Amino acid sequence: MSVQSRVEPVGAGVTVDYRPYRMIVRKITDETADTKTFRLEFADEAEGSAFSFKAGQFGLYSIFGKGEATFCVASSPTRQGYIECSVKRAGNVTVALHQLNEGDVVGFRGPYGNCFPLEAMAGHNILFVAGGIGMAPVRCVIWNVLDLRDQFKDITILYGARSVNDLVYKHELAEWRARADTHTIYTVDPGGETPDWDGKVGFVPTVLKESAPSSIDAFAVMCGPPVMIKFTLPVLLELGFSKDRIYTTLENRMKCGVGKCGRCNVGPWYVCKDGPVFTAAQIEDMPADM
Amino acid sequence: MQEVKYIRDDWRQTCLDALAGEGYVVLGPMRDGEKVRFRPCTTGSDLVLDQVNSDYPLKEAFLPKTERLLAYTFGPGGEPAMTPPEVATQKLAVLGCRPCDAAALVGLDRVFNWDYEDAFYNQRRRESLILSVGCSTSDDRCFCTSLGLAPDASEGSDLLIQPLPDGGARVTVVSDKGRAFAAAHADVFGPSSTGSPPTVADVPVRLDIEMIKPWLDAHFADDLWEDISLQCLGCGACSYQCPTCHCFDMVDETHWQQGERRRNHDCCSFSLFTRHTSGHNPRPTPASRWRNRLMHKFRYFVERFDRRACVGCGRCMRVCGAGLSLIEILKTVAARPAEKPVQEVTA
Repeated sequence: MSVQSRVEPVGAGVTVDYRPYRMIVRKITDETADTKTFRLEFADEAEGSAFSFKAGQFGLYSIFGKGEATFCVASSPTRQGYIECSVKRAGNVTVALHQLNEGDVVGFRGPYGNCFPLEAMAGHNILFVAGGIGMAPVRCVIWNVLDLRDQFKDITILYGARSVNDLVYKHELAEWRARADTHTIYTVDPGGETPDWDGKVGFVPTVLKESAPSSIDAFAVMCGPPVMIKFTLPVLLELGFSKDRIYTTLENRMKCGVGKCGRCNVGPWYVCKDGPVFTAAQIEDMPADM
Repeated sequence: MQEVKYIRDDWRQTCLDALAGEGYVVLGPMRDGEKVRFRPCTTGSDLVLDQVNSDYPLKEAFLPKTERLLAYTFGPGGEPAMTPPEVATQKLAVLGCRPCDAAALVGLDRVFNWDYEDAFYNQRRRESLILSVGCSTSDDRCFCTSLGLAPDASEGSDLLIQPLPDGGARVTVVSDKGRAFAAAHADVFGPSSTGSPPTVADVPVRLDIEMIKPWLDAHFADDLWEDISLQCLGCGACSYQCPTCHCFDMVDETHWQQGERRRNHDCCSFSLFTRHTSGHNPRPTPASRWRNRLMHKFRYFVERFDRRACVGCGRCMRVCGAGLSLIEILKTVAARPAEKPVQEVTA
């Protein structure tokens, strides 16, 4: 397959001058000891109402004076008027993000990249598998699907983290569990449980194997650390999920987000343009460049 | 058949004046300390054309080493306010670049207009007029002919100028833009003469470039990458001097209440180029970075943009502190069988 045939010209004719939207930090939620979720609203209402994105797309968030960093949009496109990103404190930009207060101004460029095929997934069962902060892009799809609940069949959410403290979106996890139309399985790695933890204890691949969700008429959406993906993918295949119906999202270091700066490629695949959403079949085709 | 014109005498100054008359800022190969790079030029005799090629590539004219993408100021409470990016309003013309540098622009045009169009590159490039000068001399690092180009190739140029022994020049009209310019200056670009032909440098074909991609397609994992990388200092000089390398970094810089976001040339040889904040690096070794460099130039770029990201200018070899030779590397690749030997399956 030639690279060109994979490219959907989403930005054809769009001039990019790398100027970000001015965003106001409206709400900061502490997720874990080192992860916060930021709700950002457009300072310019006209820009905000003209803005739209699709589940899976990413953007470049910036702190003026510190620089830009790439994250997925973690909120659902069905929730309009704001975007959210969940950020672990790690490098220059993320440390600066963590020092923000509500009301502060940041930059956002996007949305860039492709998206999860929500239209193709409509009318089917969906299994979500997420690990740790990998829940951020998955959460976007979960809310998108739940906000259009009658368009989808059974929904199963399997989420695991190293410890109870490392689970993100704790209030939403409870909300999903309380819903009658959603099946949830939450787990923490052995040793990460607390006395009052009522979920499972075990690694994501193991718990997935045990709970064995049906692959019939189903799509899987998966995101997590590389080691989780590595061991979870074979289990999904074993359960009968088709490689073309297992979707994941990749991250790589990026600067431009629009296919110019030349660093996010995995072999011939540009994560920013051909992705960030890829099928397991596509990932299998990729060379060992990750 | 391309239209051919003739400039009678002192083609450098004549062209400069004609371009200036149309409001162009003319960039030419100019001496900058010990090096030759593209700088604004008004005097024809300042053009440095007795050197095989400029030390720095033409890409700097359209993708500067460093440029401001965004400026902002911080208010009394620290709140940032952006000022609109500066739009380059000057029309740029280039006089005296070599055909290889002009051809490299064709690749850059594709990168910066692939899907999203880059505002800054295109603001400079769209109005530009490229008057390249054919090569009458070459050195043993020149290998344009191995890349399907030539010392008198016209790709990427609007007009190709070839100096003649009589002091005039033969001008090949390449593009519509070039034709319009020549037509508007009929006093300069006269009918072609039947005098002696221009001297064209002799650049031997050094390798069979068609052998490269088939081998790269089949050898993502190979000992060659380690072999090459052991000789490489990882300094990135080759990228900075390459007319086709376009990778860039974006950084914020601040001074008191002022700040700006800049774009700087970057290089895939650096370990930080791809390193994630987590510490994970998709290309952690010099070997993996060298593989990406060669794959990008001779495979990925071809698949996406239908041309190679190399024009055979030879600058990477002239500047390499370790004496690495891209010609020798490509020769090594070209000599290897493209297909991996079929491994016998033993029961």
